[in-house]
Amino acid sequence: MSQFDVHKGDNPRILFFLWIVLVASGVLVAGLAWRQLIAMNEYKELEKRQTERRILKPGPRGDIYDRNGRLLVGNRPHYSAVVYLDDLRKEFRKEFVVVRDAADATLVEEFEQTPLELRPDTVPIANRSDCAWTARMNVIQRYVDQINQITGRDDTLSRSKVIRHFNEQLLLPLPLVEDLSPDQYARLIEQLHPKHSPIQVHTDTARYYPYGVAAAHTLGYVQNVNPDPEDIPSDGIKTYTFKTKRGKTGLERSFDDLLSGTTGTEMWRVDPLGFQDTRLDMVPPKQGEDLIASIDIDLQLAAETALGDRTGAAIALDVRTGEVLTIVSHPSYDLNDLSPFIPRTTFDEINERGAWLNRSLQLSYPPGSTFKLITSIAGLRAGTFNTETKHDCQGVYRLGNRIFRCHARYGHGVVDLAGAIEGSCNVFYYTEGLKMGIDILSAEAICFGLDQKTGIEVPYETSRLVVPSKEWKREKVGAGWVPGDTANTAIGQGFLLVTPLQMATVIASIARGETRTQPTLRALSREEGMQVNHGGEPIGLTQKQYQKLWEGMQRVIGPDGTGRLVQIDGLPIAGKTGTADFRAHGKEVNLAWFVGFAPADNPQIAVAVMVEGTKASDSYHGGSTAGPVAKDIFLKFIEKYPERAGFPIAQ
Amino acid sequence: MAQLRLDKLKPIVALGVFLIAWWVVPTFVKSFLKVSFTEFQAPAWIVSSYLDDLEGFWARRSHSKIELIEAGRELAREKAYYQYYAQRNESLEAEVERLESILNLPSRREFRYEVARVVRRDLSAWWQQIIIRKGNDYNIPEGAAVIFSGGVVGRVVEVNAFTSCVELVTSPNFRMAATLEGDGRPVVYQGILQSGFGDPEGTVRDAPQDLVANSQAPLKLVSTQLGGTFPPGLMLGTVAWLEPGSTGIFQAGTVLLDERLLSLNEVAVLIPLNPLEFDTDAP
Repeated sequence: MSQFDVHKGDNPRILFFLWIVLVASGVLVAGLAWRQLIAMNEYKELEKRQTERRILKPGPRGDIYDRNGRLLVGNRPHYSAVVYLDDLRKEFRKEFVVVRDAADATLVEEFEQTPLELRPDTVPIANRSDCAWTARMNVIQRYVDQINQITGRDDTLSRSKVIRHFNEQLLLPLPLVEDLSPDQYARLIEQLHPKHSPIQVHTDTARYYPYGVAAAHTLGYVQNVNPDPEDIPSDGIKTYTFKTKRGKTGLERSFDDLLSGTTGTEMWRVDPLGFQDTRLDMVPPKQGEDLIASIDIDLQLAAETALGDRTGAAIALDVRTGEVLTIVSHPSYDLNDLSPFIPRTTFDEINERGAWLNRSLQLSYPPGSTFKLITSIAGLRAGTFNTETKHDCQGVYRLGNRIFRCHARYGHGVVDLAGAIEGSCNVFYYTEGLKMGIDILSAEAICFGLDQKTGIEVPYETSRLVVPSKEWKREKVGAGWVPGDTANTAIGQGFLLVTPLQMATVIASIARGETRTQPTLRALSREEGMQVNHGGEPIGLTQKQYQKLWEGMQRVIGPDGTGRLVQIDGLPIAGKTGTADFRAHGKEVNLAWFVGFAPADNPQIAVAVMVEGTKASDSYHGGSTAGPVAKDIFLKFIEKYPERAGFPIAQ
Repeated sequence: MAQLRLDKLKPIVALGVFLIAWWVVPTFVKSFLKVSFTEFQAPAWIVSSYLDDLEGFWARRSHSKIELIEAGRELAREKAYYQYYAQRNESLEAEVERLESILNLPSRREFRYEVARVVRRDLSAWWQQIIIRKGNDYNIPEGAAVIFSGGVVGRVVEVNAFTSCVELVTSPNFRMAATLEGDGRPVVYQGILQSGFGDPEGTVRDAPQDLVANSQAPLKLVSTQLGGTFPPGLMLGTVAWLEPGSTGIFQAGTVLLDERLLSLNEVAVLIPLNPLEFDTDAP
């Protein structure tokens, strides 16, 4: 038998092993086929999860323009010096060796100096993790120092920030120095080697407000936040995200969805330690949509200047459409100070001045004599008095044993409705208010929407609005309604609380002969403007009643009226002044009001101004304090829109 | 047979020994050797450049008297022209200083200039450098701006005893802050790998979104004083198009540079007279 005969196919031992090998191979092939063909997707997913990382880059926000296309809120470059930790790994390792050796040497020295009886059994070694973090911090701080040397800054980086970045955002660049000024940015660009230095100058965007303090409360600001978890794909791939900007207040908040950009995506393949290796895909972010606001920045600036350093609010509305042309609240703040982030000192300083509050719609005040227009309309509609009604004002009104005074010490004499509006005669309104009663009065105020938020597209409008009624007083104050309450309400005092924006909508409604005005901060197209439905009803006065009311309001701006300082040659203005007493911060202070519209014969713009006394010595009056602010707004309106103001345009 | 094979390996062994020796040699020895090598080469380059100058001189000597007289007249005209502009510049400078003092603006960084001949051009796709015939002997500082009549040439990256090495704006290793003429916002200019064909090019990025460039109305890219190295307004090149960059808001584009950059014979080095101040000299 040759030596090869044992390999013959009929050898049972051979056949036995052959079958074992065949079966084993079959199992392997089947397993391979299972993994490669059937479970392929599962392994692909697993491999993707292990080796791929996603970076989400939020898109820049859209701009906000005024109604004439002037930029109110834009984006400015926000420069920072950053470093990718992946680029520093070699240095980390070198520094680690140095730090570890130094720490070990120190421990050995301490060990040797320890008396024999106190010595541990073995020479201690330094904590390797501590050494690693110390080494990383040393390397990173060296780069921060280099930046400081070039830019003249004095920045440091906290260990906790680096650790947090390392653990949570390893693939994203670590910001070493943020918010570089343009010259610091330029110096880094020129003095850092583009190839050899791991420091990169990163350009992002921050919000930019060309007009600083103008309309600050209305425009609002943004906050850098982590994106919603819902916005992050849930496919199991680890995702790193840059912070995104979300509107915190004002239009930035109300139109956040419109203004927010589309997030871009980068897909990276990473090495086993999690550092980036190859970029697989990139979808660039896109800027958000622009918003055209109804504000006219020239009118806004005129109102801001006119209000000056005083505390208060001023609003101008387009009578027909309800578009807000101007909305001012003082004290204010420079929005640029809040971008890209709000420093603690800035926050405290604004807080101390009470400037965070938007006085045009977040605080409510007694409307004072401007409310007499509502009282007048209520009486005329209810028929409790008419255009011929007259009262003799002797300066006081006696109600039981209480004396209610008129602001004219010796009285206005005999006045009718127009005269009462012109001279703001309290006695006329005490008498008529008591005659009609609180039910009619509050029903009229409610009809004009004074018990509801206006619904303007700015968040945090106050709900502390009070149109008092018998039930309200019983519920909130726990006392019964007395005639004195009605007398006070009739002249806009007592429990009444409204916002300046509400009074602007009231005067715009009266100008249009309707009960409601829906204010909006969005610029409307001509077509949209034609189709505006404010949701109210016609006031329903007779022609004669309107004439009397109009006559009174125009006489307010006349030579003997309380609002004579608002007079402008050639522009018929109808309005009403008001001076209210108000208790703020434990002090009794004045509130000066002016509401009015122009031109009186073809109303185009409605203005409400409220100036708040901040100390007891402030002696503010509607006509002399709030009136001139309104006048400046009217003057700017004539300058900007001479045709609408009824002024011929020079050809 | 075996002996023959070992003989053939000798050069490889020698190279290996050299590389190992170079690897273990301390860094300061390496840099000393590098500098020495440069300094050793420099005289040859300088002599060569002087010979070139001499050659040019003799070439001009061969021109006829009529031609030389004509050239002299042309030079006189040019001189008068430049003298007029120099006077105009002086009066404008005085006016600028007066306005700056009225407006209480921070003083600008002042420079003196050193004109230097180009002795060598080291141009390839990856590096773009020139060697100039002035160095420590003229107090040329490292990092100084280098310009020519067409604008920015580059920056001094290495200074030797009698020569200096200038990184050209075309080099991928050159980066500077710049502005687009008429706009004060800084952008980044950087050189790129040059193809070797056509005009030299660079890139610009971080250009604001509202700027529009097209071939009919290209934007001029000029230097800015923000970085402290260059005086403002020196021409870098033109930007014929801009497109949105990866940030979604800033734009990036290509900068067409002056074709003379690759054939320069003479440049001026701007040497700062006052140190760079922090914050105060920023506009």
